[in-house]
Amino acid sequence: MIKANIIYHKCIVYSTIALLLIPILATFLYSISSSWGASILPDGLSLDWYGQLWQDPRFLAAFGRSLLICIAALLLSTLLIIPLIFVVFYYFPKLSGLMNVLILLPFAVPPVVSSVGLLQLYADSSLQIVGTPWILIGTYFTIALPFMYRATANSLEAINLRDLMDASHLLGASTVQAFLMIILPNIKKGLLASLFLSFSFLLGEFVFSNILVGTRYETLQIYLYHISKSSGHFTSALVMTYFLFVFLLTWLASHISRGTQS
Amino acid sequence: MSFVTVKNLVKRFSNHTVFKDINFTIEQGEFITILGPSGCGKSTLLRSLAGLNDVEAGEIWVAGKNITQLSAQQRNIGMVFQSYALFPNMTVQDNIAFGLKMKKIHKEQITKQVQRVIELVELKGKELQYPEQLSGGQKQRVALARSLVVQPQILLLDEPLSALDARIRKRLRQQICEIQKELNLTTIFVTHDQEEAMTMSDRIFLMDNGNIVQQGTAEDLYTQPANEFVARFMGNYNLLSAQQAQSILGVTVSHKLAIRPESIYVREEGREYGKHISAPSTAIIKNHQLLGNVIRYKVQVKDCEITVDLLNRSSERLMQPGSQLQIMFNLNELKAVS
Repeated sequence: MIKANIIYHKCIVYSTIALLLIPILATFLYSISSSWGASILPDGLSLDWYGQLWQDPRFLAAFGRSLLICIAALLLSTLLIIPLIFVVFYYFPKLSGLMNVLILLPFAVPPVVSSVGLLQLYADSSLQIVGTPWILIGTYFTIALPFMYRATANSLEAINLRDLMDASHLLGASTVQAFLMIILPNIKKGLLASLFLSFSFLLGEFVFSNILVGTRYETLQIYLYHISKSSGHFTSALVMTYFLFVFLLTWLASHISRGTQS
Repeated sequence: MSFVTVKNLVKRFSNHTVFKDINFTIEQGEFITILGPSGCGKSTLLRSLAGLNDVEAGEIWVAGKNITQLSAQQRNIGMVFQSYALFPNMTVQDNIAFGLKMKKIHKEQITKQVQRVIELVELKGKELQYPEQLSGGQKQRVALARSLVVQPQILLLDEPLSALDARIRKRLRQQICEIQKELNLTTIFVTHDQEEAMTMSDRIFLMDNGNIVQQGTAEDLYTQPANEFVARFMGNYNLLSAQQAQSILGVTVSHKLAIRPESIYVREEGREYGKHISAPSTAIIKNHQLLGNVIRYKVQVKDCEITVDLLNRSSERLMQPGSQLQIMFNLNELKAVS
C-alpha cells in the first residue's frame, strides 16, 4: 500500500519536472542546432550561435550595463538597509510593525503604474534622470527593498539581539564594534541569500527598464526584446546563457540559506 | 566604606516605577542573592548595576568610585544572562577571548588567560566547538568563563540556572559557589527560587514590588520573616489572623501570627511535652503531599486550614485524609508579622 503510494507520488513529481523541463530543453536544442526547418530533429548541431553571441559587442555591453545597474542598486540597498534595520530592531523595536507595512509598499503598486508615475514625476523635474541609469538604480533599490529587509529581519529575529549587544557592551565593545563583530557575521548568510535572489530577479526586470530608459541605456532584457525579432537560434542561445546565469545565482542563494538553517 | 554601596536608587519606565529607594551595601567577596517573584524589579535592578539601564535617581559606588554615570563598557562588571548570550559565530575559545581582545591585551597573554578559565570551568577539549554544539550547562559555563576572564570587580548572574534541568542546575550551582569562593569575587545573583537563594548566598535581599523588603542571611529570613510576604515566600508559613490565634491557641494578640509547618507537632500518647508547647487541638486531615523526606499535610483546625510538615520516617506514619489527630504548636516559634 505504502509502496504503491510512493510510486504514485514519484510519478506526479517526475512528470511535473519533465513538463517544466520541456521548454528549457527545446530552447537548448534549438540554440545548439545549426538549422531546424521542416524535420522532426535539427539538421545539424553546432555551438556557432553561442560563439556569435559572445562575440557580439552589443550583447556584451548590454550584459555589462545590467550587471552594473544591479550591483549598484544592491550595494545601495545593503548600505542603507543594514544600518536601518539594526536601528529599528535595537533602538526602536516598536517601529518594526510600521516598517513591515512600509517595506511591502513597492509590491503593492504594479510596475507599469509606478513607472508611469516616475516618468511624470521626473519629466518636469530639475533632476534630469529619466533615460539614465540613475533612475533605474533608484527604482531597483525599491524593488530589492522588501526581499532584503525581510531576509535580514528574519536573521535578526533568530538571534537574541538585545542580550548579545548587552553582553558585548559589558565586555568592553562599543556599539559599532559589537555590530561589526557580533551582529553582522550572524546576519551575513541571510543577507547574502537575499542579495543573490534579488540579483537574479533584477537581472530579469523588463518593465521599468523599458519604460524609464528604453534603448537610451540598453540593458540585457531590452537587448533580448529587440533581438528576439531576428534569428530564433541566436535568441535561444541568449536565453540559455541568461537562464544558466540566473540558475547559478539561485542555486547559490538556496545553498547559502540552507547553511543558515543548519 | 563597603565595597559596593547603593544609595536611594530609583528606576522608572514612563509612568511605572520599577523600584524606588533601593539602599544596600555589599562587602568584597560576598555572595548576595536578590530574590523575589517575577516582575518584582530584581532583573531591572541588576541591569541598572551593570549600566545596561540608566536610573532616574540615586548613586552606585564600587570600590570607592561613583559609577552611576559610567557606561556598561566602562564599569568592569561581568554578567551572565539567562539566555547565555554567547556569540553564535565564535568558538568557545573566541567567545571567552572577546573581552580580552576588546581590552587590546597581547595575544599570548590572551591564550594563557583563556586556557586558565577554561580549566576553571572544566571545559577542556571544547575550545574549538561552537555554542550550538554545546549542552545548556556547557553554554552557561562558557558564559561564566567569558565574564570571569576579564577579572570583573563584580559578577552579576541573572537567573543563570533557570533554563537548565534540575540535575545540571544543582551541579552548576555548586560549581559557581566554589569558583566564587576561590576567586573571592563579589557576586550578585538574581533568582526567583528560594531554595537556590538559601543554599548559595551569604546574604539574601528579598524584593517585592520594587522594594527590598528584608535583607539578611538565609537563616534570618527563614526564621525571622519581617512581614507576611517574606513568611509566605521563604517558608510556606501558616498565617493565623488575631481571631484565629485566639480561637486555636487561646492567645490574645493584635497582629497576625506566623508559624512554620515543621514546628507543629502531632501529639503522641504517653509523651511529655514542655511548657513551650501549646495545648492540643483536634485536626482533620484534608490531604497529604509526599515531598520525599517530608510529608506535607493540610489539616483543618476549626475554621482554619493549616500546613503541617512531618518527617517521613516510615510508611506506617502516612495518615489518610479524613483521619483525626491532635496537633500542638511550638509557642517559641510563633512570629508576629505585619
